[in-house]
Amino acid sequence: MSRVAPLFGPLLFRPLRRDRLRFALTVAGIAVGVATMAAILLANASVLASFSATVDVVAGKAGLTVLADGPGIPEETLERLSWLRARGVTVVPAVVATAAVQGGDGDVVEVLGIDPVTDPSVRDYRFNSRSDVEETTLGRLFAVFQRDSVLVPAPLAERLGLTEGSELGVFAGGAARRLRVAGILRLEGAARAAAGSVVFADIATAQELFAREGFLDRIDLVLPEGLNDADRAALEESVRDSLPPGVTVGRPERRTATVDRMVRSFRVNLTALGLIALLVGTYFVYSTLSISVLRRRTDIGTVRALGASSRSVFLVFLAEGAALGVLGSLLGLVLGAGMAKAALAAVGGTATDFYLTQAAPSLALEPRALLTAFLTGLVTSILSALAPALEAAHVDPASTFRHGSVEASRRRAVKPLAIAGALLLLLAALATRPGPVGGLPLFGFAAVFLVVAGVSLLAPLAVTTVARRADRLAVRLLGVEARIARANLTGSLSRTAVAVAALSMGISMMVAVAVMVGSFRATVVDWVSQTLKADLFVAPEGGRSQRALGRLPEEVVTLLERVPGVASVDPFLSFEATRDGAPFTVGSGRFALVAAHGDLPMADGSDTRTVLARALSRGEAVVSEPYAVKFGVRTGDLVTLPAVDGPVTLRVAGVYRDYSNDRGTVTIDRSLFRRLFRMDGAVSLALRLEPAVSPEEGRRRILAATEGRFALRVQTNASLRDAALALFDRTFAVTYALEAVAIAVAVLGVFSTLLALVLERRREIGLLRVLGASAVRVSRAVRYEAAALSALGIALGVFAGAAMGWILIHVVNKQSFGWTIRTDVPWAFLAGALPSSSSRPSRPPAAPPASPPQPTPPPS
Amino acid sequence: MGASVVVENVRKAWSATSEAGEGAVSEALAGVSFSLEPGDFVALLGPSGCGKSTLLNLLGALDRPTSGRILVDGHDLALLSDAGRDLYRRRTAATVFQFFNLLPTMTSLENVALPLLLDDVPPAEADERAAAALGEVGLPEKAGAFPWQLSGGQMQRVAVARALVVRPALLLADEPTGNLDSRSGARVLDLVSDLVAGRGVTIVLATHSNEAAARATRVLRLRDGLLEA
Repeated sequence: MSRVAPLFGPLLFRPLRRDRLRFALTVAGIAVGVATMAAILLANASVLASFSATVDVVAGKAGLTVLADGPGIPEETLERLSWLRARGVTVVPAVVATAAVQGGDGDVVEVLGIDPVTDPSVRDYRFNSRSDVEETTLGRLFAVFQRDSVLVPAPLAERLGLTEGSELGVFAGGAARRLRVAGILRLEGAARAAAGSVVFADIATAQELFAREGFLDRIDLVLPEGLNDADRAALEESVRDSLPPGVTVGRPERRTATVDRMVRSFRVNLTALGLIALLVGTYFVYSTLSISVLRRRTDIGTVRALGASSRSVFLVFLAEGAALGVLGSLLGLVLGAGMAKAALAAVGGTATDFYLTQAAPSLALEPRALLTAFLTGLVTSILSALAPALEAAHVDPASTFRHGSVEASRRRAVKPLAIAGALLLLLAALATRPGPVGGLPLFGFAAVFLVVAGVSLLAPLAVTTVARRADRLAVRLLGVEARIARANLTGSLSRTAVAVAALSMGISMMVAVAVMVGSFRATVVDWVSQTLKADLFVAPEGGRSQRALGRLPEEVVTLLERVPGVASVDPFLSFEATRDGAPFTVGSGRFALVAAHGDLPMADGSDTRTVLARALSRGEAVVSEPYAVKFGVRTGDLVTLPAVDGPVTLRVAGVYRDYSNDRGTVTIDRSLFRRLFRMDGAVSLALRLEPAVSPEEGRRRILAATEGRFALRVQTNASLRDAALALFDRTFAVTYALEAVAIAVAVLGVFSTLLALVLERRREIGLLRVLGASAVRVSRAVRYEAAALSALGIALGVFAGAAMGWILIHVVNKQSFGWTIRTDVPWAFLAGALPSSSSRPSRPPAAPPASPPQPTPPPS
Repeated sequence: MGASVVVENVRKAWSATSEAGEGAVSEALAGVSFSLEPGDFVALLGPSGCGKSTLLNLLGALDRPTSGRILVDGHDLALLSDAGRDLYRRRTAATVFQFFNLLPTMTSLENVALPLLLDDVPPAEADERAAAALGEVGLPEKAGAFPWQLSGGQMQRVAVARALVVRPALLLADEPTGNLDSRSGARVLDLVSDLVAGRGVTIVLATHSNEAAARATRVLRLRDGLLEA
């Protein structure tokens, strides 16, 4: 290394100082790629970490946990488990639900309903000592035995301005309730659940709050000390045998695994997007370094002549790549953490919206996520520095550089590269054929990357072909400037082709995502207009959290049916279950109403009325498209549901389109649902009004009829549609932000390449001036070159983007989420976005000196 | 037809910076006067640094004298606008360099056609005339070759063709053989004296080769920025 050190000054640091702008752009390019990746990884890690922390905290010292795989755990289960006491096992029941805080900033809190007698044996509670009188924990826990009392962790109390004895207003199960704060907890033990956004109440209070009388959400089992694995497994088996249908037992951690599975598709999709952004970043390293090598060729020749080995020169340039990688990646981590934080806060965590009804997680700077993003940035930087570093190492100290000869060797590579590119595109086409691997569209992603790589390899051929074909016509139409531009394009092929490839990458990402999101949106708009046909939609009030939390009691259903002007009420009721460890939803509605209105489009286009009427008369189910795709279920197949009296098997009458839930739903008629699951009430209700009643009038009547007893959110058809689309757009806001940044970076990259090429060609520009070309014409030639680069980049990008969009829609989305999306190209958006992404160097090239070109040293 | 050139007491000074010390002034030309008749073939002789290149730059309107005047066909070059100077370089004064200075990214034909296209000659005609010029310098088969595929002598012949193709009135050649072996050098000089001089073009050939000077009809010797008597 000591032989390398003296080279850093002349070959690296000084030139970098001279080229601050390009240096900064390169670091920024890498930083954006790394930031994107880091943000995605961090946001995901945060969601999972917060969930798994809650799982751990809530599970406490439990060795086994009983959970519902159906509508809930019937309270009788406790009696079935009473034999456990004799075996030294403590049985701790709890109810878990989410409530919205009235007022505030849309806070939601987990409500943990506990049994104060047994709970301390599984979970820790520490009180904020208000006076010097130290009360026993148990004594204070009994405070929650009082009706409508809660214990609140200190930070939450502080945030909401609560003290002991004050009242906490919440919306729960469609009612506004006031809970008395019986005590303030230190942020220790169980109080750390949901990052401290949790309150503790007596089980009965929680059941009543959420209309869950007779049901539990979990039973934690604290096992006796000194149990070996075999004993434990045997005990688990015995517990399983004592459980009613729809209830399972296992280690507490298994919940985290389920959630991990839920967010996996989502995470993999975003990570793939981040990787593409990083590709754009690697282009920067390659471009900056290859231009550096070119500009420092004479210097390299000199140090080689002075005795530096080619290995040292290679190492210097590799070190430059690594240095840029380290700087860019570090900056990327900082940016990424910021982006992740913003994403978690602003979007509330897109994942949270869809997958977890839980308080928005706080940013966890998970070391593994940070390290992954950092190393990916560093390694890709070093890899993209390899080629330029090798080129530098091969500079012959004896001979002078002759630009053309180097480029000539590159030009010979055009055909092999193009053939490789074509092969990659072929592979991409093949990769769209296989199905998902472990539920993930891995081949689909491979196809997307193959398209990106294949089109990049075609870029040199595109440049030379278009240059050759267009030369004559362009010279006739645009004058000699076009020829100068063409000569420059092909003359610096190694860099212009890479610039074209990078721009096409950025453009293709934008086009692909625009096509995908545009198609998705058009499909959803369509679907929403087909399904949301009722006049009013009623859900439990969620305060400023804007979320529908919990279930409305049956009383609301009957009450609404009696409101004058209401023609029909279709209550939707559901719960979560699992099939082979994968979660899905069991839902219900009034099939007679759906059959009458036909507002549930079927995936195969068959008539909704016929399908639903048949399902109703035969007691069959309909399943959503994601369910059908995920579990490979078709019309006529059987599905099994965890009914209270044991599993029931139903025939599938049809598959319907559903874009509201990617877990998949099995829907049955409401009366069958109530009989099978002994559950009533509604999660939401769709109301049709009599023709004479306006939606606004209907809304007023409903609110008047329920005032004082229930807190309902009543939305008109129009406002719910708007809300649905707003949610859709919000979900993709992050995607668009990432896209915009990546494209901005790609455009900057092309700009920086052009700038560098102009600097590099100072001598040729001087020559043109000697031959009588005016400064205006020289700058026009550079603009033509920029335009040609942009046009080629856009053309290739649109081609690649269309292909990628198709893959995203028909392979990746279909396999990840089971959604069929109709291709719909957002022409207007693309037409507006594409011209603005073409690079136009705003500044004419550095005015060349009106003197003859400086001679290079004579060849020996 | 060749151009008449009048050089009147031309001085060119550079305010040198770091190299020669603060505020120092180095004088490349210290008052040079001569005049050329149309068709004159002048060899400009002198050692390196005597001011030959500076004088050629001034004659090519690439630079302006510090004082004095240069008249070409009666027009003072210093009074030309930028556009006028571009036009002068395109149509009147053509240059051949020691290091050929072909554009590496263009073929021979394109290099030769370039000045015509810059002068808005239609592309078809430009190609035709460029091909003819390549024929005249004996390289018709190298039309599609890139500079890096040519030898030094061939490159210089392409450069001569590029200078010829605009039918200039004044040819400025700056050490055109300085970078060539003697046989290639002689070939280029043949071209210059036969083709160019034969058309009555005024030629200024800066060189320190006596062989080159022998072809000229007149010799001017520069030393330390002054013409030797």
